[in-house]
Amino acid sequence: MKKIYIIAIIMVAVAIGLFINAGKDMSTYSTFSQALVANGKVKVVGQLAKDKEMYYNPEKDPNYFSFYVRDTDGQEKKVVLFQEKPQDFELSEQIVLTGKMKGDEFHASDMLMKCPSKYKDEEIYIKGEERQG
Amino acid sequence: MEDIQYIGEHLLPGKIGQLAMFLSFAASILAILSYYFATQKRDTEEYESWRNLGRFAFITHGIGIFAVIGVIFYVMVNQYYEYQYVQAHVSEDLPMKYIFSAFWEGQEGSFLLWMFWHIVLGFILIGTAKKWEAPVLATLASIQLFIGSMILGVYLGFGDEPARVGSSPLMLLRDMVDAPIFANADYVSLIKGTGLNPLLQNYWMTIHPPTLFLGFASTAIPFCFAIAGLWTKEHKGWLKPALPWALFSGFILGTGILMGGAWAYEALSFGGYWAWDPVENMSLVPWLILIAGIHTNLIAKNTNYSIRSTYIYYLLTFLFIVYSTFLTRSGVLGETSVHAFTEMGLETQLILFIAAYSLLSIVLLAVNYQQIPGPKKEEATPSREFWMFIGTLVLLFSGLIITASTSLPVYNKIVQFFDPVYEGSVITDPVPHYNKYQIWIAIFIAFLSGVSQYLRYRGVNWAKQMPKFLTRSGIALVGAAVMSFLTLLWIEAEAWQYKVLLFAGMFAVVSNLDYIIFFMKGNMKAGASGVAHLGFGIMIVGILASGLNKNFISSNPFIMDGLIEGASEESLRNNILLFKNSPMIMKEYEVTYTEDTLNTFTRTYTVNYKRKDESGKVIEAFNLYPNILYDKSFTKIAASNPSTKRYWNRDIFTHIASLPQVEMDAEYRQEREDSLKYKLITTELQQTNVFLDTVPIKDQDTFVVKRYDIEVLSVSENARHPDYKPELGDVSIGAKLRIRRDDIDEVFEVEPILVLREQLLYSYPVQMNELSAKIRLSQDILDQVLTIEQDLNYQEFNFKQGAEIQIGNQKIRFVGVDKTPEHPSYEEKEGDIAISAIMEVENVNGDTFVAKPMYFIRDNKPYQLKYEIKETGTHFRFVGVNPTEGTMQMLVAQTAPKVINSVPVELATNSLRSDYIVLEAIEFPGINLFWAGSVFMMIGLLLGMWNRMSQPKIVESV
Repeated sequence: MKKIYIIAIIMVAVAIGLFINAGKDMSTYSTFSQALVANGKVKVVGQLAKDKEMYYNPEKDPNYFSFYVRDTDGQEKKVVLFQEKPQDFELSEQIVLTGKMKGDEFHASDMLMKCPSKYKDEEIYIKGEERQG
Repeated sequence: MEDIQYIGEHLLPGKIGQLAMFLSFAASILAILSYYFATQKRDTEEYESWRNLGRFAFITHGIGIFAVIGVIFYVMVNQYYEYQYVQAHVSEDLPMKYIFSAFWEGQEGSFLLWMFWHIVLGFILIGTAKKWEAPVLATLASIQLFIGSMILGVYLGFGDEPARVGSSPLMLLRDMVDAPIFANADYVSLIKGTGLNPLLQNYWMTIHPPTLFLGFASTAIPFCFAIAGLWTKEHKGWLKPALPWALFSGFILGTGILMGGAWAYEALSFGGYWAWDPVENMSLVPWLILIAGIHTNLIAKNTNYSIRSTYIYYLLTFLFIVYSTFLTRSGVLGETSVHAFTEMGLETQLILFIAAYSLLSIVLLAVNYQQIPGPKKEEATPSREFWMFIGTLVLLFSGLIITASTSLPVYNKIVQFFDPVYEGSVITDPVPHYNKYQIWIAIFIAFLSGVSQYLRYRGVNWAKQMPKFLTRSGIALVGAAVMSFLTLLWIEAEAWQYKVLLFAGMFAVVSNLDYIIFFMKGNMKAGASGVAHLGFGIMIVGILASGLNKNFISSNPFIMDGLIEGASEESLRNNILLFKNSPMIMKEYEVTYTEDTLNTFTRTYTVNYKRKDESGKVIEAFNLYPNILYDKSFTKIAASNPSTKRYWNRDIFTHIASLPQVEMDAEYRQEREDSLKYKLITTELQQTNVFLDTVPIKDQDTFVVKRYDIEVLSVSENARHPDYKPELGDVSIGAKLRIRRDDIDEVFEVEPILVLREQLLYSYPVQMNELSAKIRLSQDILDQVLTIEQDLNYQEFNFKQGAEIQIGNQKIRFVGVDKTPEHPSYEEKEGDIAISAIMEVENVNGDTFVAKPMYFIRDNKPYQLKYEIKETGTHFRFVGVNPTEGTMQMLVAQTAPKVINSVPVELATNSLRSDYIVLEAIEFPGINLFWAGSVFMMIGLLLGMWNRMSQPKIVESV
C-alpha cells in the first residue's frame, strides 16, 4: 500500500476522533432549569427582565453587575456577570449567557447581546431633531 | 397613491450610474462569450479577433464599474440623501477622509470594491498572460457576472412578488422605505444622513477592507488559471504563470487578515488579535488552503508530482472565499459572530454562486482526472516533496476542521429545514475549542517546515545526504531545546502541549535560520521559503508568549478582596476603579487618572503610569490616553478606544471599561439631577453657617450626622464657571464659598453661579466629588442683587461735558467720554464703534463712585449697556449721542442702594461621584514576536513572488 494512503487513513481516523470529541464542546441553548442539573458551563438564551432591578455600582465593585433574565421557558433568575456593565445593555433584545448556576443565581462568565442595530436601521433622521447634550 | 412632484432631488447621477451598471453587466456577458470562443478557437485564425472582442468587452465592463463607483462617490460627496446608500453611510459631520470607509461600509460598496480589484487584476492579465489570457479572463468575467448580479437591483418574474436580483446601491430612499415624510414634496431638504458607525471611523477602516478585498480578488487568479488548465488540458503549462499570482495572493490575503487582527488589537477593545470569530475563521481557511496550493505548485513545478492536488487546492481556495462571503453576508451566522453583515435577501444568489463554481470545478476535474499527469511511482520517503505534501494535507485538514466548526449554524439551518423542532447546537466556548485542535496542526507544520528544508527534491543522493541531514536536524533539535528552555525562564507554558508547541516553534526558527545562513549563504532572496518559515516559527513563539501570558494587570486583589461574594470568580475580575487624582497600585505600576478633555465627540482620558524602584524613586513614567466616543446626540457612548504602551518585549494595553453612568447617559444624568434633594442654607456675607446632614444607615436604626461648615466669602457679578460661556447681555452672579466637612480635612473653595439670559435663568452648580455633594446658588439671591428694570423710573438728561445734576441727595457729574471703553458684559467685535460715558456720583457722605455706561454701534445698529452703582442705587443707560449739540443722551434712575444681607445656597448631599473611570489594563508579553513573525511570513511570500517573476523568461511557443 502506498504511504500516502496510510497517512490518509490516519488522518481520517484522527478526524473521526476529533468530531466525536468535539461533541463535548457543543451544546444546545439551555434554560435555567436545565442549567441547574447540568455539569459545567451551559449557554442560556433569554431576555432582560426590564421591570426587575439592575445593579451596577462601580464605586463598590467595578466587576459586579447583576440583573434578571427571563429564559425561553419564562423562568426568571438573577444573573451575576463579573464584568463591567456593557454599554446599551438596556436596549438588548436577546441575551446569550455562558456560565453556570450557583445556588439560585446564574453566574455568567461571558455574555453576548443582540441589540437592535443602531446604525443600520431604517429610521430616517429628521433635521433639527437632535437633542442637546 | 397620487404622484408627487418631488423637488430638490438629483436623479441624473443615479440614472447614469444605473445605466453604467447595466452596461458593465452586459459587457461582462460579452467578455465571457468572446473569450470563450477565443479559447475554443485558440489554434485558428479567428483567435485574435475573438480575443480582441473579449478585451474590448472586459475593458468596457471595467470602465462601467469604475463609472458606477465614481457616481456613488459623487452622490456621497455631495450628500444627496435621496439615495438610500448615501443616507445610510454619510452624514454632514462625517470628515471627508472617511468617505472611502463610508463607501465600503455597506454590502453593495464592498461588492463593488471586490469587483474593482478583479478588474485591476484583469487588466494586468490582459497585458501579461499571453496565451492564457482568453481562458483566464473568460473565467474572471464569469465571476464578475455573479458578483455584478448582487448589485444589479432588478426585479425578475411575474405576479405580486417578483424575485429581486441584487441590491442596487443607487436606489432612492423613497423607493426603499415607506415613511410619511415622503408625502412632502420637499422631503430632501428635511432628511439627514445616518453616517458612518463611529466604531469604524479610524484609519484601519480605510486600509483594511481594500487590502482584504484585494486578497479576496487575488485568489480568483490561481482559480482562473486552474480552470484554464483543465479547460485547455495543458495540465503542466498553467503551473508556472499561476505560481507568482498564488504567492501574491498569499501575501496580500495574509496581510489583509493580519490587518484585521491588528485593528482588533489596536483600536477595538477586544483585548486580543484573534478571537476565532466566524468571520476571521472564514478568511483564514482560504489562506491556509492557498498556502497548501503554493506548496504543491512548487512540488509540481519541480517534480511533476502533485498536479492534481494543486488543481484541487486552488479551486478550493476560491470556493472557500465564496463560501466565506456567503457566511458573512447571508445572515446565517446570526448571534455567533460579532461582525456579520445584516441580511439583504441575497442568500439564494450567494448559494447559486457557490453551487455554480463547485459544479464547474467538480465536472472539469472529473472529466480530466485520468489525463492529468500523475506520479508514475510513489514519492521517496526521504524526499522534500513527500513531506511538503504531507504538510499541505495537514493545512487542508486544519482548514476543514475550522470550517466544520464554523459551519455549525449552517448545519443547524439545514436540519431545521427538514425538522423544524430541531433546536440547533452551538459551541459553548469557541476559543478553547479551536485552540485545542489547531495546536496540533501548528506543531506538525512547525516540525515539517524545519525538517523539509534539509531534504532534497526526489531524495537524490539520499545515501550521501543522510549523514548531513541527521547532523543538521540534530543541531536544530538541540538548538530548539536550548531556546525553549531559555524562553520558559521568561514566559510560562504550564501544559505539556504548550511546551511541545514551543519546542516545535523553536525548531522551525533554528532550522530555518540554519537554512538561510548555511545553505543559502545568507542569500535572503533565494531563501524566501526560509524567511517565511522562520516567520512562522517566530509567530508561534509570539502567540504562546502573548496569549498564554496575557495578564490582566488591572486587578488589585488586595483592594477588591472580600468586597462581594463570589470570590471564586476572582480571575474574571479584570477591571479596576480609578478615582481622579488618587493613585492606585496595579502590579508594578502606580496608576493615576489625572485628567480628561472633551474634543467634539471624543473624551480623552489621561492615565499616568509610574514604576518605582525599591527606594520609591520613579524609574519610569508615561501617560496613556484611552478615549471614548459619544454618539451624535451626545447621549450614549458609541465606542471605547484603547491606548497601548509598547515596549520591545511586551505591550501594556488599556481601555475604559466603564464610566459613571452620569457620564455615559445624558438622560440618566438629567434624571439624577432632578432627583437630588437640595436643602436651602442662608448665610450672612462673610459669616459661617453650620449645616447638619443626617444620613440613615441602610437596614439599621442608626444615623450618621455629618457637619458642613459653609462660609460665604464674597458675592460678585460677572462671575465665571468652567461650564459657562458668557454671551452679550448676560447677567451672572457668583458666590465664593468655603466648605468643610467634619470628617474630611480638605477645605473646598467653590463658586456656584447663576446666569440670567433673556428672561431665562441658568444655574451652574459645583460638584464636590470627595463629599458626594453638590452646591448651587439659590435664585432667591436675585431679589437682593437685581433690580427689576420695569420698576425703575428713568429720567432722560442731555449732558454736556462737565454738566452736573442733582437727583435726590446725590450729585451726578458727566466727566467725559472714554473712547476705548470697557464694560464687564462687553466683548469687542471688529467694526464696533463704542464709547462709554464717565459718570461720577457723589453721595451725602462725600464718597464718589464712577459709572461707565456704554453705547456702541454694531452692524449699523445702536446698542447700549447699562451700568449700575450698587452702593448708591444709581442706574445709567447711555442711549444716544447728539453730535451737533455735543450732548450725550442719558437715562438715569435712582433706587434705594442694594445691600446683600444674606446669601442663600442650596446643598444636595447625595449626589453621585462622577470623577472616576473603570479601567481594564492587559499586559501582552512578547506580542512583537507575533507581529515580527507575521511580517517575516509575508516578506517570505513576497520574495517568493519576486523570484518567480524575475526568472529569465523562456519564450513559450504558442
